[in-house]
Amino acid sequence: MTGDAILRVRGLSVDIALPSGTLHAVSDVDLEAARGETLAIVGESGCGKTMTALAVMRLLPRRARLAANEIELLGTDLRALSDRAFSDLRGNRMSMVFQDPMTALNPVYPIGDQLEEIHMRHRGSGRREARDRAEYLLARVGIVNPGTRLGQFPHQLSGGLRQRIVIAMALMCDPDLIVADEPTTALDVTVQAQVLRLLKDLQAEFNMALILISHDLGIVARIADRIAVMYAGRVVETGSSRQIFGAPTHPYTRGLIDCIPWPGRTERRTRLGSIPGIVPSMIGDDSGCMFRNRCAWAEERCRTDGNVERRIENGHAYRCVHPVAHLRGPPP
Amino acid sequence: MTAPVLECDRVTRLFRVKRGLLETPATLRAVDDVSFSVREGEVLAIVGESGCGKTTLARMLLGLLAPSGGSIRFAGRPMRQVGRTHIAARVQPVFQDPYSSLNPRKTLGRIVGLPLAVHRIGSEPERRSRVAEIMELVGLPAHLVHAYPNQLSGGQRQRVAIARALAIRPAIVVFDEPTSALDVSVQAQILNLLLELRQSLNLTYVFISHDLAVVEHIADRVAVMYLGRLVELGGTAEIFDSPRHPYTETLLRSILTPDPALGLPPGPFGGDFPDPLDPPPGCPFHPRCPSAMETCRAVPPATVTDAAGRVECHLYDGESHDR
Repeated sequence: MTGDAILRVRGLSVDIALPSGTLHAVSDVDLEAARGETLAIVGESGCGKTMTALAVMRLLPRRARLAANEIELLGTDLRALSDRAFSDLRGNRMSMVFQDPMTALNPVYPIGDQLEEIHMRHRGSGRREARDRAEYLLARVGIVNPGTRLGQFPHQLSGGLRQRIVIAMALMCDPDLIVADEPTTALDVTVQAQVLRLLKDLQAEFNMALILISHDLGIVARIADRIAVMYAGRVVETGSSRQIFGAPTHPYTRGLIDCIPWPGRTERRTRLGSIPGIVPSMIGDDSGCMFRNRCAWAEERCRTDGNVERRIENGHAYRCVHPVAHLRGPPP
Repeated sequence: MTAPVLECDRVTRLFRVKRGLLETPATLRAVDDVSFSVREGEVLAIVGESGCGKTTLARMLLGLLAPSGGSIRFAGRPMRQVGRTHIAARVQPVFQDPYSSLNPRKTLGRIVGLPLAVHRIGSEPERRSRVAEIMELVGLPAHLVHAYPNQLSGGQRQRVAIARALAIRPAIVVFDEPTSALDVSVQAQILNLLLELRQSLNLTYVFISHDLAVVEHIADRVAVMYLGRLVELGGTAEIFDSPRHPYTETLLRSILTPDPALGLPPGPFGGDFPDPLDPPPGCPFHPRCPSAMETCRAVPPATVTDAAGRVECHLYDGESHDR
């Protein structure tokens, strides 16, 4: 897998200075996305999944400080690039699809202008060539009458259509990597399934790496090849989709899966599993496991040894002091 | 079968919508000729995509909006006769967004106690003890009575909204997407709470949601809405195990259970939602329907009622065509 890695991130941290101390939004995250592969980052609000994506795209808010041992896109060290050089890559080799297509599009320009601009900026193409590309992509993302649509404004389109346009926009320069942050959260369920299908098909067709950020375990299970589960700024478990859902090991991953109503598996009108307590404050240094105050397996050493990584097999790994056999059994 | 507490009889709600400055207003049929009843003690879920009219219907059940046609009866009496205040005491809402549904400048004690004060129930000390009791019931620590909403997490806020709804001991609670704004682990806590409260307080729920996995988990019966029409109604087992309306099938196919072996469901999902201001003729679902026939394009289907429930589709209305 290392051979065709498109993005490689090692030791990524994002700190935000607040009056009350330093908030560790992302701590020591490793990620890798290969060509043709979908990596999903899953977790609940505040777990740092969006911050991780923004850090990779160099779109972090000004107050946030980024540190990393390695951020490489196709062998290029992204940390060394000037902002100017980085903006030549963004929208070109790597592009992002945001949650809300209404805010990702400029309301006062026709969508055609917004699509063409990207191609002209990065490829130095003329208006005619850029328009042809835009029309081709709109047709490719399943939009009927692409020529007419290009002259329309975002408000004239439905949410599903807008998100298709944002996806077409991300593809304008044939990127190697797409980062999609909750791309279907604002959409209806049937439209969601269509848009996910489309993303997956396009990924294969354009042979890209896709990083999908989501809080929805159903989406993640169905679309991802590999999954990183994040909790309180840290990746607590990684593995293939089958490993994560077939043999979840970290107590947080297990707790999360038990929480969801699962048609055909959970019994109707019975209690769902739940994770007691709330997410801890991420302000200040903490070398312990961030999940310890909600964990049935927590022990004294969990207060200090938060970074023990244990490998299970074939890329399935988790961060916890307890061995697999102990965690797979019932809580102590 | 228990008695119906709320009955909708051919309820319709129209809105006049202005599209442009100079255009004549169009008529939006947000809810179109909908009939059903809510039985005492049940959880009736209303599902459908945005724009299907489920929130408008909820507002009418709460007495916040009058129907343009048809009637709603509460405990056998027309809602108009029962009166707005009395309805409010018996039917309480819980909304989707616990950030905008709580007054940020009032303490939890004031928020939860407000319905008691409005309806002049009990003396000041009695109200205080009722607030304490209900906060404990929904799992809010007693010290939070002096806290403000901004000091709470999303899940705690939703517990406050539930406490406020339950304070005056309503018969029915209408939930409009109560867990959509919450994280999955918090959603589980809230759903567990709702199931417990229903049992212990003998409540009736109307549960509006677009999340079918949640609906399957909590509902006794399910009503499926599409473009203002109630297209299918049945028990949860019937709807989920043997759906009849092609729209219900489409909805069920789009549920993504976290089963990695399954992959993404195959299409087609029949394109986008039509413009509610310009609904298709005949059956409103026909442009997206994989089983659409010639009749569907012209003739609206009749409602078929049988032991399994109700469905509004030409496949079942017994006219001259085979499945």
